[in-house]
Amino acid sequence: MTDSIEGMSPSKDYTAQEIIVVAGAKVLEDNKIVFVGTGLPMVASLLAKRTHAPGLIPVFEAGAVGPALIHGLPLSVGDSKTFTGASYVKGLNAAFELTQRGFADFGFIGGAEVDMYGNLNSTMIGDFPAGYQRPKVRLPGSGGASDMAASCERTILIVPHDKKKFNEKLNYITSPGHLDGTPNARYKAGMQGKGPYRLISTKGIFDFDEKTSRMRILYTFPGETVQSIQDATGFELLVSPNVSEFTTPTVEEIRLIREEIDPAGVFVKRAAK
Amino acid sequence: MDNKDKIFWTGLSPDEAREALVNKDKSMRDKQMTLKDAVSRFIKDGDNVGIGGFVNIRQPIAITHEMVRHGFKDLTLSFQSAGMAPDILGGAMMIRPEHFSIKRIELAYWAHEAYGLSPVWRYLAENGLVEFEDWSNYNMSARFKAGAMGLPFIPTRGPLGGDICKTSRTKIVDCPFTGRPIALLPASNPNVAILHVQAADKFGNCIIRGTDATCPELAMAAAHTIVTCEQLVSHDLVVSQPKDVSIPFAAVDAVVKVPFGAYPGACRRHYYFNGDHIREFHSLVAPACKGGSMDGLKAWYDKYIFGVAEFEDYVEMFQSRKLIADQAAESFNCERLA
Repeated sequence: MTDSIEGMSPSKDYTAQEIIVVAGAKVLEDNKIVFVGTGLPMVASLLAKRTHAPGLIPVFEAGAVGPALIHGLPLSVGDSKTFTGASYVKGLNAAFELTQRGFADFGFIGGAEVDMYGNLNSTMIGDFPAGYQRPKVRLPGSGGASDMAASCERTILIVPHDKKKFNEKLNYITSPGHLDGTPNARYKAGMQGKGPYRLISTKGIFDFDEKTSRMRILYTFPGETVQSIQDATGFELLVSPNVSEFTTPTVEEIRLIREEIDPAGVFVKRAAK
Repeated sequence: MDNKDKIFWTGLSPDEAREALVNKDKSMRDKQMTLKDAVSRFIKDGDNVGIGGFVNIRQPIAITHEMVRHGFKDLTLSFQSAGMAPDILGGAMMIRPEHFSIKRIELAYWAHEAYGLSPVWRYLAENGLVEFEDWSNYNMSARFKAGAMGLPFIPTRGPLGGDICKTSRTKIVDCPFTGRPIALLPASNPNVAILHVQAADKFGNCIIRGTDATCPELAMAAAHTIVTCEQLVSHDLVVSQPKDVSIPFAAVDAVVKVPFGAYPGACRRHYYFNGDHIREFHSLVAPACKGGSMDGLKAWYDKYIFGVAEFEDYVEMFQSRKLIADQAAESFNCERLA
């Protein structure tokens, strides 16, 4: 453990992925159930458990509910490490059914593209619908993301910030967010849950305006401004009246990620030396 | 492509699936056979093959090797999330399409999580070599469940609001009870399910450790099921805890003991991932995606699949030190006394 005063001081060498993880952890609340997708969400959930949210309960879509994760970072949401010490384990149907029922307070999802209403694409880049069967770039597909989008009570989106990824119109809507932003759009479509709650990018944290459901800058990451974030975004962002700068990750938070949670750099890549 | 108004079944229709089971010999008999016999007896050209496991967890890799050696045409593959199993089948189609071909894929996700994207999937899709139907993990799982329940469809929330509704056979109706929109998904009853499990008896009663994935639903939905297992154990041991049995014998047609049958993927209590081998395979596919040579990929298939008689020969090509290390990595994940 780093000395507490030194540990609380701001890190001087954190990476873009590491600040995503720290921000993701901070958005999570203690004693809630979080449906965890593969990759950075796993790291963020583990960091939250190690810091302010020891009572956080992760659910993995392959079936494990509430594992202690004492044997390290899972490489897959079906990893053996998610099962040891889990309270309840069945399979995919059971995991998604408990989500559909309302047991998942948060869902953590990502995508290759996002629009101003928090709709996500992880299916294809190309001409849609005409070119669906022969896309320019074929992405892996929904996995469990569209189910989490339709049924978790609140979703947290992770998308690296890039003008090509923050688009006015998506190539394909894999995981629906606030749809077209009209009032009650999700409810009218038959969906459950409040939809996108926060979006975390490499430049800041965003929420969604209550009236218009449009993406809004809530926190700017250190080194960014409202303008620099808008310049890197393919649609017009709203700005929260409470916009502020996100606290720089601490030395201790970065140490936890690098030394204890993802020491092999499986999901959080090390900066090139 | 808008499939909304088209009704068609891949694999068996609900009525055909019922009929297949009615006519099936459901006796509790010895179903042990060689993998070669199982594959040639229960898989046919044009079949819809349901693939068990989840991403690279407990995928039926040994069965896919045998399918490639045998050769099949115009298969449909159905799975929620998969990695190396469709990679092995799709890679065979890349190098020898006259010997092995996939016509259609119904899926939620084809990639490798920590081990990256699947270059095989990208190659087949981006070159327009297969038709496909996107679903989500829950959609595919629920479709197998509907098949297992003997129902023609299942209602879910999953695809509502997104483009999966437009590119799949999803039907959105107003719920007759609440009046709100609900998605109806067609059942999936594959011709054959291919599964790898931790333990089975000779009758086909299966014990799964870790996630069930959707293996029980898939086995119950399919007309035939081929099971490979790490451990073939006595019937008495299997039924000493009857609730441990997640797939009953009557749903299984062939039982084959194949240690390391999910390798280089992981199998709880037995071995963890061999990520180096997964990456090596992908490094040989990648040049072909950029229009380059397939020679490296062909050499891989010649060495590991076409050049050997059975999966045991493939496993033998790994250094025992590596296999033991992968077993040790898994025993760390679920520490227990032997």
